[in-house]
Amino acid sequence: MSPHSPLILLEQVTKDYRMGSEIVHALRGVDLSIEPNEYVAIMGPSGSGKSTLMNILGCLDWPTSGRYILDGTDVSSLDDAALARIRNQKIGFVFQTFNLLPRATALKNVELPLIYAGISADERRRRAQAALESVGLGDRLRHKPPELSGGQRQRVAIARALVTNPSIILADEPTGNLDSKTGAEIMALFERIWREGNTVILVTHEDDIARYARRIIRIRDGRIESDAPNSPETVEALTMQQ
Amino acid sequence: MIRRLAEYADVFISALESLRANPLRSLLTALGVTIGVAFVSLMGWALGSLDAAWESTLSTLGQDMLYVDKWNWAGGGNWRSVMNRKNITIDQAEEIARRVRAASMVYISADAWGKTVVRADKKASGLVIEGTMARFGLLPSTTLAEGRFFSEMEEQHAAAVAVIGDGVRSALFGNRSPLGETIRIEGRPFVVVGVMNKRGTLFTDFLDRTVYIPLPAFFGLYGRYSRSVTVAVKARSPEELGELRDDLRGIVRSVRMLSPDAPDDFAINEAQVFRDQVANIRMVIGMVGIGLTALSFLVGVIGITNVMFVAVVERTKEIGIRRAVGARRSSILAQFLAEAAMLCVAGALVGIALAGGLIAVAALLLRTQMEFLLPFVPLNVVALAVGSSICVGVIAGFVPALRAARLDPVEALRYEA
Repeated sequence: MSPHSPLILLEQVTKDYRMGSEIVHALRGVDLSIEPNEYVAIMGPSGSGKSTLMNILGCLDWPTSGRYILDGTDVSSLDDAALARIRNQKIGFVFQTFNLLPRATALKNVELPLIYAGISADERRRRAQAALESVGLGDRLRHKPPELSGGQRQRVAIARALVTNPSIILADEPTGNLDSKTGAEIMALFERIWREGNTVILVTHEDDIARYARRIIRIRDGRIESDAPNSPETVEALTMQQ
Repeated sequence: MIRRLAEYADVFISALESLRANPLRSLLTALGVTIGVAFVSLMGWALGSLDAAWESTLSTLGQDMLYVDKWNWAGGGNWRSVMNRKNITIDQAEEIARRVRAASMVYISADAWGKTVVRADKKASGLVIEGTMARFGLLPSTTLAEGRFFSEMEEQHAAAVAVIGDGVRSALFGNRSPLGETIRIEGRPFVVVGVMNKRGTLFTDFLDRTVYIPLPAFFGLYGRYSRSVTVAVKARSPEELGELRDDLRGIVRSVRMLSPDAPDDFAINEAQVFRDQVANIRMVIGMVGIGLTALSFLVGVIGITNVMFVAVVERTKEIGIRRAVGARRSSILAQFLAEAAMLCVAGALVGIALAGGLIAVAALLLRTQMEFLLPFVPLNVVALAVGSSICVGVIAGFVPALRAARLDPVEALRYEA
């Protein structure tokens, strides 16, 4: 990757859905560029297209038109297997509902992406354990999701997102199912992850959560409405409150 | 390939885990496969037992032996003309024996069927009295459990000695040794000098109900010309059997003074005559077995396909999660195929255990009447059963697995049960 190319580059990306006989224009031409180690919040009300944008950024879906260049690779025309590989290596997802395998231990859940990366069992275990320790769950390796609190479950999910050393951490309403105190703890964890050099993209409709980011992009009706830096002072204040 | 190894190992483990999570449902689902595999196992066992019986028939009767008889053992031919055949007399038999050159051994025997033998207050009926030569005792297939066969000397002197079959021994003597004891045949005393090993089979069960006495002694009991005799001829090697048969046929025709255009009025029997019977039994067992198995497997496929569809729906979220963290469509396909196959293998193992139990019990209960029954499921049948159950699993799981693989990851992640 040359020093001038951004980590994420969207050029005139559109996405149309067919709903019955109607065609829904979820994205109507989005241009976006994100540099490595940015901390971005994508905001918008429901129906704004922010979920669609997140799916495309996460390589879970293809744009109808336009180009998406991720880390120097044009991913808008890749086939399923190649996209799966990109998701595996370059993207770490964190979801609102945690999305852990309920019958697998924390360790096993964190190992899951490494299985699809073809990592040996010993190495998987070692890396998964390290990732869980880094989110403060070193003593919960053998617990299954139903035995963990919401905040702990989200930490497992974050460990799973981090374990492959992805280019982007993509978090979709990561505090939506948590109480505000636990939510603040999770946001502090994202802050640390970002400070350690990761690129973090938050998708949220809550101003309180978006305020943690250093750049806020607002989406409305499938277009970018505004794109502005966020004042770091606010963030300092937010972290102080805890 | 190496990279995928971790994934395949995981596919295997997670298939096992989901099986363990729902053991009862798994077993019920695989019931069709269980029953199908039980049928396959029973069929394989029956065929294996039949083959074993066939093998032992071949070895007791001798694969290198020809028996010149008035009758064809397997039956057939025009009944009336067969009935009208003249006996093979002892004089003809001796003449045939003299003229056969290309044989390693010839002996003559004569049988009386449906006879009763008495020992003290016990008697055994439905027996075969066979007059034979001391040479018969030299055949490799003639093995004794106790005592000895009668000697050439005893044969020549028409000694009143007898060698009895295993069934005769148990009927008259129970667990006691019969050696030196006296039995009465047609009221005349004979001393038991030997007991044959158990040698009767599915096709020759009368062998254990036979009492062997010297041929001249037999003639003393039943007369020299009352019965048709048998000339048994042993080839020098099994390969020469065909040639020997042709020679023998010419000799017998000449001894019986048949005109060149007359049909044979005798039969040259050999162990192979039972082969058609074996083939028929095989076919019946095979057809019934395959029919029942196919039916059970069909039921199994329907059941497993349904349950796999349910499993795919239940685990939509899991599919979404796996896809999000890097599973390809083919990974998901493999996972569900493995699960269906594993379900079938588990069902198959239960089926094999079930059949194994039935077989052990059957072999135990029938071991006296049908000792040729194998007491276990043959190993190659186990392999066949497991192999075919994997195929059933893959067939049954294919459409549900394909549906799972084709799920849109975005939709799958959004799914809430």
